[in-house]
Amino acid sequence: MTTPAAPPPPLSGDLQAAVLAALGTEHAAVWSYGLVSAFLPTADTAAVTAASLAHRERRDAVVALLARAGVTPPTAAAAYRPPSPVTDATSAAVLAIVAEDDVAAAWRAVAERTEADTGGELRRLALDAVTTSATTSVTWRRIAGRTPLVPAFPGDGSAT
Amino acid sequence: MSGIVGGDTRVGTPRRTVLQGAAAVVAVTGLAAAGCARDEGPDELEAPLAAARADAATAAAAAAAYPDLAARLTPVADARHAHADALAAEIRRARPDRAPVVDATPAPADRPASAAAALTALRGSLGTARDAAGALALTTASYRCGLLTSVAASCAGQATVLA
Repeated sequence: MTTPAAPPPPLSGDLQAAVLAALGTEHAAVWSYGLVSAFLPTADTAAVTAASLAHRERRDAVVALLARAGVTPPTAAAAYRPPSPVTDATSAAVLAIVAEDDVAAAWRAVAERTEADTGGELRRLALDAVTTSATTSVTWRRIAGRTPLVPAFPGDGSAT
Repeated sequence: MSGIVGGDTRVGTPRRTVLQGAAAVVAVTGLAAAGCARDEGPDELEAPLAAARADAATAAAAAAAYPDLAARLTPVADARHAHADALAAEIRRARPDRAPVVDATPAPADRPASAAAALTALRGSLGTARDAAGALALTTASYRCGLLTSVAASCAGQATVLA
């Protein structure tokens, strides 16, 4: 993994905005899983815990990367507004899907703004983020009755 | 559909804005990629294109041979077919000279020996496709990085469904 001494990737204005947006979706995902966990059966506790941990670890990696680049990262909002009310397991799974889709879309946008020679660290983060989003969402799409279980192009904005 | 919104400030770039920005980047990098694309030898996307076509054919053949598998394998065939279309379109755009290769009719898949064999083969090839697309995403041009990142993620998800 990245060492503290690693040089920061060059963050142009456009790329930096995309990275900050991705960090925002990680914050939102961590918050969302806190809400989701209250509505899902205990059988899904391990899945929620693993998903939440993945977002916190990536959030921390992005914060460290930004610090190396001299960028002060925005903190999480105190609360977030789900696009639809969360009242049961199905609506909780829907929120988890939205959170994962937001993360995937934001990180694909980061990937598209990186260059091959300087973007390795961010590209690896993006690949991990979009991949984990696609695999994690399978569980939530099953609960919510969504098909297909895996989008053809996670992060391209067309997933439902 | 809007994403999750912060309590008092909008956190994260709205989906629509992200897509608009991405479209602009695609246009710019498209020109750059066309300008510096290697014009000799195969395009780097021909290997993932062949893998996507092979998976689509394998999944479709297995779904036809074993109707019990159709519900699980038809989405795999659809996704890999979509991957092949997107990869072929990008090769045609950047490398018109490779269009004959892209337009060649892929070989039909053999009927799998058994349902279990079909699932095992697809799990393996999807895992290989995930790794290959992910590796190529790290070294390729900006637009292709986004496309290959999504393809790798989708293959990872499809392999999870078949696990």
